[in-house]
Amino acid sequence: MAKRIVVDPVTRIEGHLRIEAVVENGRITEAYSAGTMVRGLEKILIGRDPRDAWAFTQRVCGVCTTVHALASVRTVEDALGITVPKNAELVRNIMYCTLMVQDHVIHFYHLHALDWVDVVSVLSADPVETSKIARSISKWPKTSPAYFKAVQDRIKTFVESGQLGIFANGYWGHPQYKLPPEVNLIGVAHYLEALEWQKEIVKIHAVFGGKNPHPNYLVGGVPCSFNMDEVNAINAERLNLVGRLITEAIQFVEHVYIPDLLAVAGFYKDWASIGGGVSNYLSYGDLPTRSYNDIDSFKFPRGAILNRNLNEVHEVNARDTEEIKEYIAHSWYRYTGGDGTGLHPWNGETQLNYTGPTPPYDYLNVDEKYSFLKTPRWKGHAMEVGPLARLLVAYAQGHEEVKEVVGEALARLDVGPEALFSTLGRTAARGLEARLAVHWLKGFYDELVGNIKAGETRTFTPDKWDPDTWPQTAEGVGMTEAPRGALAHWIKIKDKKIDNYQLVVPTTWNGSPKDPKGQRSAYEEALIGTPVADQNIPLEIIRTIHSFDPCLACAVH
Amino acid sequence: MADVQTAPSYKRVYVWELPVRFYHWVNALCVFILIITGFLIGNPVSISYSTEAYQQYWFGTVRFLHFVTAFIFFFNFMFRIYWGFVGNRYARWTNFIPHKAAQFKEMWEVLKVDVLQTSLKGEIHVGHNMLAGFIYFISFLVFLFQAITGFALYSSMSSAWLPQQFTWVVALMGGEFAVRQWHHTFMWFFIVFVLIHVYLVAYHDYIEGRGTTSSMVGGWKFVKESRLKGEA
Amino acid sequence: MQEKGYSRRDFLRFCAFAASIAGIEASGLNTVVAAFEHTPRPPVLWLHFQECTCCSESFIRSSHPVVADIVFDVLSLDYTETLQAASGHQAEKCLHDTMKTYAGKYIVLVEGSVPLANDGVYCCIGGRTAKDILLDVTQDAAAVIAWGSCASFGCVQNAKPNPTGATPVHQILNKPVINVPGCPPIADVMTGVVTHLLVYGRTPELDSRGRPKAFYARRVHDTCYRRPYYDAGMFVESWDDDKARKGYCLYKMGCRGPVTYNACAVTKWNGGVSYPIQSGHGCIGCSEDKFWDNGPFYQHLASFPGFGIESTADTIGKVVGVATAVGITAHAITTNIRKKSLIDEHREESVEGGEI
Ligand code: HEM
Ligand code: HEM
Ligand code: NFV
Ligand code: SF4
Ligand code: SF4
Ligand code: F3S
Ligand SMILES: [Mg+2]
Repeated sequence: MAKRIVVDPVTRIEGHLRIEAVVENGRITEAYSAGTMVRGLEKILIGRDPRDAWAFTQRVCGVCTTVHALASVRTVEDALGITVPKNAELVRNIMYCTLMVQDHVIHFYHLHALDWVDVVSVLSADPVETSKIARSISKWPKTSPAYFKAVQDRIKTFVESGQLGIFANGYWGHPQYKLPPEVNLIGVAHYLEALEWQKEIVKIHAVFGGKNPHPNYLVGGVPCSFNMDEVNAINAERLNLVGRLITEAIQFVEHVYIPDLLAVAGFYKDWASIGGGVSNYLSYGDLPTRSYNDIDSFKFPRGAILNRNLNEVHEVNARDTEEIKEYIAHSWYRYTGGDGTGLHPWNGETQLNYTGPTPPYDYLNVDEKYSFLKTPRWKGHAMEVGPLARLLVAYAQGHEEVKEVVGEALARLDVGPEALFSTLGRTAARGLEARLAVHWLKGFYDELVGNIKAGETRTFTPDKWDPDTWPQTAEGVGMTEAPRGALAHWIKIKDKKIDNYQLVVPTTWNGSPKDPKGQRSAYEEALIGTPVADQNIPLEIIRTIHSFDPCLACAVH
Repeated sequence: MADVQTAPSYKRVYVWELPVRFYHWVNALCVFILIITGFLIGNPVSISYSTEAYQQYWFGTVRFLHFVTAFIFFFNFMFRIYWGFVGNRYARWTNFIPHKAAQFKEMWEVLKVDVLQTSLKGEIHVGHNMLAGFIYFISFLVFLFQAITGFALYSSMSSAWLPQQFTWVVALMGGEFAVRQWHHTFMWFFIVFVLIHVYLVAYHDYIEGRGTTSSMVGGWKFVKESRLKGEA
Repeated sequence: MQEKGYSRRDFLRFCAFAASIAGIEASGLNTVVAAFEHTPRPPVLWLHFQECTCCSESFIRSSHPVVADIVFDVLSLDYTETLQAASGHQAEKCLHDTMKTYAGKYIVLVEGSVPLANDGVYCCIGGRTAKDILLDVTQDAAAVIAWGSCASFGCVQNAKPNPTGATPVHQILNKPVINVPGCPPIADVMTGVVTHLLVYGRTPELDSRGRPKAFYARRVHDTCYRRPYYDAGMFVESWDDDKARKGYCLYKMGCRGPVTYNACAVTKWNGGVSYPIQSGHGCIGCSEDKFWDNGPFYQHLASFPGFGIESTADTIGKVVGVATAVGITAHAITTNIRKKSLIDEHREESVEGGEI
């Protein structure tokens, strides 16, 4: 007997996501992913100064803060033909890697972990045993029995207070929780440690961008200046702070995140065959080591994979108006040319057209429009984007560093590469990527220090700052790889003002509703076939959905 | 000598009392300084010193001048408002706020004679003509607006009683940015006003030849006896 | 207290912080400790509407107290979509349980604005509109805090043309709302306001716009360490020029510090590491109402609506000024032509010099 279950709000994500899933005989047979909040930023941007766009688009999301700012300044620089100085590129890379690492750690511990870690079971853990396990998997110093005992006591007092706060009504005791109490205790201890640590690493953003969330960016470079002989600029003291934070970040990722990830994954190998989803992967690539205009120099390569065929990586061209298109057959928008058409973002439109049920409602009308996300397609294909897509594209292109960390993890877990196409694979890919990023972070930092040592301190290219130097019309596209996947902004400039501005965002790719042909996007497709043990408890649904790290403010904007 | 016979005889009329003249020149000086210092506050010249910041205070001085002048401007203006109730017939508010049909007609006449120049000869007025009076009235409103927005901005820099009476303006206008924007914009009213005003004073002197300019210094205007309609 | 794995010393340090922001002297510390030790953790419901969640992100960056201590020891965060374990109807149950059990005793924190256009369909959670949820949940709240510029002033989605009718919380509720603006607000300001509320059980002193005076009484400009450069007239004139590298004042680069009320220059960001100006970019005025419509951000006054980018009041003023000068000249010329007879008449009337 088929039953449609609703999960709304999906929590431990960013934003307002609603999942409706049809369950038949304990498995999901159809799924609908809906974004239920919209702000209309693409409309708000029209008519504004292109140099301000980064600040507006940055407010699309405070979780992946900076990536929209980065995409935006690149978009405007692309339109106006600006190349930023080497140091500006390095500072941007440093800020990028910082976000990548911080966002992935937060996702693993604070957004995803409670899907796998049973907090209540911690009460029955043996601190001595816990310490033994912790020491066997990592060199992290905080592993004494006394330490774990203190954490356990803290949880005990908390639970006994009767006020469970953020842990209230969790799915504790569900048979799908498979970790021994001791591993759960390690998880909870590191939940707390990660919470403390994440506020440290973002200080790198504060040094270069003045604050986090929402550090400052600048069209043409970065706003901070280097002056080794000035207290009012980025000097040795500031750089030393960044250096120390990077060292600590490497420690945390290597000795906490990665060991925990592998330990937990070891108990959930069944999830390596659940939640595979669409079998196409897209990455725009990022982290230029020479210049943003030199794609071959990217740490994350650009490309697309179809049908899980790792032997062929397709080229991706964001300027080709036939490659990337957004559809609205099931989205609450209207297109001038008809709702069945697809539009390349340069010609994109954002006209709100809510046709859903009048609230309060129990179910969405899923046969018609049912989400505020538009539906992007690459050459007509539904694509998955994100850490997994990035690793696969790099892996398929024979990227050495990526092959090494992926190979090592697969060996440790004793699974083959096909395990990557799954809920577990997605979660693992995120950790492996954080590991790569944190070492690249160090590399970029060292390079920056080297540049300064060699006397190169420029951070800004001034020649196109003045709008009087701009052509009457211009168009550009700026691409990046956000933590959740391929992100690009498209701009049209006319008479020094924004004439059109469109964002196609990672979660738009992954979480969108069906396209006019009825093809599912990644969330919906990944849910198909997922077992649901108890229809009243959506644990399995949120596991797979969380493996994508949804961000709905991004997706809809 | 024959000329002398045919020449009309003029009578002296004491139009601008000393307080009005005093007000006028203090005001003119203040506005002049406020425009210059205000313009600089909006568009400062950046000076690169070899010395340290704490050894210089030029921008602070510009702002200080603006504020001191602003206080003088404000109290002088308050005084003029008072004088509008107790001064002579030329200083009174009835000359500024048109309320009689005849006054509106007069405004139209002046417009035709002095601005559009469709008719050449019109009435020559002893005090302000009605159009001028009305424009002064509008400018008084702008003086008030500028003082209100100015003190509103100043209220964040001073806990003194007077500026603190204007804090409501910031909330009303939705933030200091808006207050500043309007305060700045209205600087241009003053610039344009002064240009036109000084020109028209000269124009009247030129066309009417009876000492308009000096009237604001000495107080006297000369009026053709034949034209005096018992005004004096 | 000791059992929580965090020492009593840590807790006292936190109390001292709470007390210091509340302005009580060290001698009053014991009462604060007592107030905490004998009350259950006050329940807190955190609502999420039209937002980017950076207020939540900022909150967890708090350095004193650290967020784990707040969430485990100070208050009971019974509902927040960003962090809570339960989803779907289990999550909704958390909300309703607290509303029922602690009616009149819970605190509501709102992040995000509320869309009122089109009957509120632009933000729905669990099938209900944001407005519906806000009214329902705040009904029995002991206090309401609006986090960030979104909930306080509407923020970016409220910028023209505000397609969804995004509305700040205080405009919807009939009860006092503590506004903590900023995009986002500073983490330590957020926890500072919450702890202030919990120490006294009453709201901190607010200004006319509902902002705690402790953090919003002064302009960024009034406490900015670059202020001496401003007063000296030493300004940055182009990004990364010599003056930028010496850290001169950013006024001419559009800094909004002179019109922005916030604690950035004093409290600073991320545990005191920096704030926008210290890292070279001007303040964009992120804690002010309507700051998005005051652009471009790179001039200290806005472009004039209806005119092009960078056409400030000055551009228009100059045009009007020149037009006036031209008009005056034209008028002077026509006067000499049209009124020639009148002028000649004056000349004739005139008495020869020296005759009288
Ligand atoms: C900053 C410059 C100036 C300002 C703001 C200004 C303002 C004013 C105001 C407000 C009045 C109305 C006076 C009243 O009834 O209280 C006035 C009248 C007058 N002003 Fe000025 N003034 C300025 C400069 C000058 C100058 C340079 C002259 C001539 C040398 C001048 C000559 C006069 C005369 C003759 C009147 C009387 C005009 C009439 O009856 O229509 N003013 N001025
Ligand atoms: C003729 C009258 C006045 C003119 C033309 C004038 C003009 C200006 C201008 C152009 C600015 C710069 C605004 C900007 O670009 O940000 C300014 C600033 C200011 N004015 Fe005035 N102003 C006048 C009267 C006043 C008065 C009566 C006050 C009362 C206190 C005042 C107080 C201020 C203040 C406080 C500032 C801001 C200065 C700062 O923050 O550095 N002004 N004024
Ligand atoms: N989807 C998304 Fe973002 C990311 N990562 C942005 O582009 O999260 Ni807020
Ligand atoms: S106030 Fe700014 S930072 Fe906070 S949620 Fe709104 S947009 Fe994000
Ligand atoms: S940098 Fe900004 S806030 Fe600081 S003194 Fe200059 S104008 Fe004021
Ligand atoms: S932009 Fe915002 S963060 Fe502070 S310095 Fe200005 S209020
Ligand atoms: Mg879009």
